[in-house]
This record gives sequence, C-alpha cells and structure tokens, in this order.
Amino acid sequence: MELQVQLLINTLQIGSVYVLFALGLTLIFGVMKIVNFAHGTFFTAAALVVSTVMSVSVETAGLPIWFSYLIAFTLALLIVCMIGFVVYFFGFQYVLKDLNGSFILSIGLLLLLNGTYLILYGGVPRSIPDVVPGNISLFGASLTIQRLLLIIVAAIITIGLYQLVHRTKLGLSLRAVAEDQEAAMLQGIPFRRVAFYGFLIGATLAACAGALMATVTPVTTVIGDDFLVKAFIIIIIGGLGSVLGAILGGLLIALIESFGGYYFDPSTATLAMFVLVVVLLIVRPQGILGHAER
Amino acid sequence: MSKKKIIGMTGGALLALFSAQTAFADEILKVGISAPMSGAAAAWGLGFEYAAEQAVEKINSEGGIKAGGETYMLELHSYDNKYNAAEGAKTAQTMLNRENINFIVGSIGTAPVKATQALSERKGAILFNTGWGKSIKGPKYPLTFTQMNTPFEILAPFYGYVKEQHPDAKTVAMITPNDATGQELEPVAVDTWADLNVEVITNDKYERGTTEFQSIATKIANSNADIVDFGASPPTDVGSMLKALDVLGWNGIKVVPAGTSAGTLSKMAGAAAEGTYLGASADFTGDSASDVQRELNTGAMEKLGEALNGITISSYDAVMALKKAIETADSVEPKEVAKVIPTIVFESSYGPAAFGGAEVYGNPQQILVPVMITQLRDGKAVEVGRIAPAELKERLK
Repeated sequence: MELQVQLLINTLQIGSVYVLFALGLTLIFGVMKIVNFAHGTFFTAAALVVSTVMSVSVETAGLPIWFSYLIAFTLALLIVCMIGFVVYFFGFQYVLKDLNGSFILSIGLLLLLNGTYLILYGGVPRSIPDVVPGNISLFGASLTIQRLLLIIVAAIITIGLYQLVHRTKLGLSLRAVAEDQEAAMLQGIPFRRVAFYGFLIGATLAACAGALMATVTPVTTVIGDDFLVKAFIIIIIGGLGSVLGAILGGLLIALIESFGGYYFDPSTATLAMFVLVVVLLIVRPQGILGHAER
Repeated sequence: MSKKKIIGMTGGALLALFSAQTAFADEILKVGISAPMSGAAAAWGLGFEYAAEQAVEKINSEGGIKAGGETYMLELHSYDNKYNAAEGAKTAQTMLNRENINFIVGSIGTAPVKATQALSERKGAILFNTGWGKSIKGPKYPLTFTQMNTPFEILAPFYGYVKEQHPDAKTVAMITPNDATGQELEPVAVDTWADLNVEVITNDKYERGTTEFQSIATKIANSNADIVDFGASPPTDVGSMLKALDVLGWNGIKVVPAGTSAGTLSKMAGAAAEGTYLGASADFTGDSASDVQRELNTGAMEKLGEALNGITISSYDAVMALKKAIETADSVEPKEVAKVIPTIVFESSYGPAAFGGAEVYGNPQQILVPVMITQLRDGKAVEVGRIAPAELKERLK
C-alpha cells in the first residue's frame, strides 16, 4: 500500500509540471489554431533566468534564498513575457490559423532561441540551492518539501487558469474564439487582441513551469525540449485546445511514467506513451476531451 | 629602362619573395573534436575540449609536428554532438567533408562515435574516441582508436575493489541510459558482478534527456539492493537519482563506472553523493598524479570550474599519441599513421603509454593507461586505487 501511495505521489510530482507546461501549449492552439514548437524555449528561459538570478543574489549579494527565489521567479515571468511579446509581434501574429506557417516559424524560433541560450549560458547544467530544504512524509510516501510546494503552487495556478477561462470575460472571449473565430468576431470580440492575450498567458504558464522546475532539477539550455515532446503527447491525448484535457492528459502521462517506470522500466513507460498516442489517434483523433473537426 | 620593365621586374621580385615565404611557412594540420558541449554531459565535452586545446598549444609552442620534410602546426576544431547519433552524424559531415579534417582527436558517446565512424573509416580519417562499445574496434575499423579505458579495462578492477571494501554486499540494482553506450556496457557489467557473486536484482534503462527520476529511485529503493550501479549515466543524471534515493531513505553502496565529474555530482546531490565510487574519475591533485596532470587540472579548474577526469584528459593523450605517430610514420597520411600507432610508446599525461588490447578486441586499438578508482569524500574525488595494465608494463620493459 505504501508503495502505491509513493507511486501516486510520484505521479503528482511529475504531473504537476507537465500539466502547467501543457496548459500553455493547448491554450495557444485553442485560440490561435497553431502549434508552437518554440513553447519549450519559454520554459527554458524561465529556468535559466531563475538559476542565474539566484546564483547572483544568493552567492554574490548574500540575500536569503527564499527572497532571491521570489525575485528570480518574478523576473523570469517578466522576461519570458517580453520574449513572448517580441515573438508574437514580429512573428506569430502573421501566421494565425496557419498551421504550415506557424510550424516553420516556431521551428526556426526554437533553433534561434536554443542557440542564443547556449551562447549566453554555456552547456554546463546549473542547479540552485534548495529554496525550502527538508523532506516530508505524506501518508507513508516520501518527498521533499520543495516538491510538495511545487505541487501546491502548480495546482493553484491550474485552478486559477481554469477560473480565468470559465469565469471571466477574457476567458469567455478565449473560449468563444477557440470555438468559432468568425462568430466571435461578429459578436464584437477583437480576435487579434484575444489571440495576443492567449499567447502571453500560454507563455507565462510555460514560464511558471520552468521557474518551478528549476528548484528541483538541474537546468540546461535544452531542458524545455525534453518537456515539449511530452507536452505534445499530453495535448494530443487530452484534446487540442482543451484545458481540462491538458490536465487529465498530464496526469495520465505522469501516471504511466510513474507506474510503468516502476513495474516495467522507464524506457518501456516512454514507449507506452507513444503507443497510447498512436492508438488514440486511430480510435479518437480529437483526444479525450477535444472536439471533432467539423 | 622602360616603365613597363621596372613594373614587371618589381612584380617578379615580389612574387619570388612571396613564394619563398610560403615555401618556408608552416603547414596547418586540422584536428577535430566531437563531444557534448551542451546538455547533461556538457561537463565532459567542455573539459575534453580544454585538454585538447592545451595539447595543441604545447605542440605548436614547441615547434609543431615534423613529418615528410614539412612542419605542421595543429588547428583544433570542436563540434557539439549533443551525445546523440543524429548530431554525431551532422558534426562528422562537417568535420570530414566540409572541413576536410583527417584526424579526429576525440569523440565522446558511443552513439555519436558510431555515426562518425561510419564516415571516418570510409573517408580514411583517424578517429580517436572514448566509446565504450567493444564493437567500435576491431579489424573492420583499422582507423579507430579508443583513447580511454572502457568497461573491459575498468569494471573488473573497479567492481573487485568495491566488493573488497564491502564483502557483505550480495545484490546490485543496475540503471543505465538506453543508448549504444548503456547497451554495450550492460552485459559486461552483469557478467563482472556475477564473477564476484553479486546478483543483479533489477536491471533498467532510461532515455537520455529524462529529468524526473522518482520512479527509478522508487524501484531501486524498493529492491533493497546492497549496491546501485549507475552504469553509463552522466554526472547530472546520477546526481538527480542520488538525490531522489536520499529522499526515499536509501543508503546503500553507490557505484558509477562512468563516474567522472565529482564536482558536478557533489553539486547536484550534495551530501547524498558522499561515498560514491567512481570508475572514470581521477584525483589529479593527489600524489599519484603526474606534473602534467596537475597542471592541466589546475587550468581546467580555473577556466571551467570543474576538475579533469579520465574521460576529459584523454583528448590530451590522443593529441600526444597522434604527434608521436605522425613523426614515427614521417607522414600525415592517416592510413600510414594508423599503421604505426600500435607500435609507438608516447608521452601521455600519465607518463609513457601505448596502444594494445589485441587479445580482447582483435586489433591493438585500445590505449593502455592506468585504471583509477576514486571515491567521493567531502565533495572531492579521492584516489583509492590505481591499476596499471599488464600489457603496458610488458611494453615498457
């Protein structure tokens, strides 16, 4: 029983970051109808900013670690928003609803940004000191306090996003545009502005995931690429454009990774994810909670 | 004298002067490196590049390499292979076809090495590599040479030492990356543990690029193995796994055959890394290190913040071996140079070294240098054992 609880806790640990990351990706697709292969670079940028700012503020300025992290987290979100603004303003706004164009643009951006990060930060992995050190036992399962906080913060952000999408005017606009762009425009909803907000929210979610992840794993300039592959699997399983689908997909993938990795091995678990995607694309191509194309 | 004649004679004189100068100018000999300069294994690639740079600088400052009546100055070209076959193939194309490099003085990662070898053997270029695969060497690949110890040299003395220190250890959990390096290492490791009466109770592989190791750590912790063997895992991954194991309360014997970057390991895992046995690391500050190794290590610490290890220092040794081989062959023709490599004794960072291993690999393509066993103590790799290969002792007699 204790083992099962440990595996479930592992699922939550792994899944919380996957969900945040995938939410941004699915939101961008839902509103803009484009697949952003450069989404992982927002994640990476945030993680790199956190690791850099913290090493300066803790080691050089001698600030308390928790305070340094707050500064680093805020800066990371701001910088990623700026990057998001620039790439949207100079790129993505011209390829809205254009799958081919957005594919080429985002692949190019991915190469450009990854190369830039490598020049700026070098290839060596970085880690930051524990923001909240110590371990905790939860129903017999062990995890670090930091990981528990990561789960809680990720859950709060996810609930916050869900509330934003379902309870606010902006959320209503996002859903309207995702449902039917022309009809939304006829209702007076400014599509381009809503698409821009959607893109920024998506980038911010990736940044949150990256900034949180930097506290528990070594940061490299390609860390976002590893998460991107899983995120695509998640949003395909959950349904492109579906917020709830991304949540369910993220947790499902984490479950496979946790239980599959234990009872079989990590490589088999990875294989199982791809097999699941293939099967789903055959049986239900719109994903668990996605809508079929008319 | 007419104006035309003066201009013509001046031009002729200038041409003669220029030709004379170029006739006495040194030739440039390009040498290449293919290593991970980014990602989890970047510590290996950057140290590798550094050590090669030092060897190139030393040779050039001492007058270059003399062969066939010419003097050659070395020019190092480094490429990031990201520790995967696709990038390895790309860097190989660039080095061999675009840059026309005939001597690759270092390549890290069995997968990228195999991708490079497919081109280098065909082109007729010499490839020094740190690949741990047995299949990389042999009569089919006469231009390929391994520049560091591999599982066939390391594991028996390394595991033997660990078992000596922990005679009660009876079980081991193995985890290694699921790529060519891990796949080549695994059977050798399983057999070597079996020879020591240690049973392999779990044997798993993970994909490079994995960032979440909780499920792996849970499996290892739950197996109650006495020893965990991290196989060919790079230091960043080992650090993450050790941290995860520490959270679960596992506190057994930690063994990393490809264990190298003690600094990175300690940084990632903190106290959880203490006591880890490393099979490819080195203590180049200790008494058993040579002056060359101490100097190289100090420079690497200053420039990279990371000590050198068995993998990274091997590029220095490869460049030195290449120099001796070219001078012995009196030629820069790779096939001629490759013929003499097994016959030379050259000055490596360890002291006199050679190439051998014909009994194991079918061809003498394996560098013969000591196996160093280290243990992480207070965040540093401390040498606890050094075994010189018997074949090298014979050659040096």
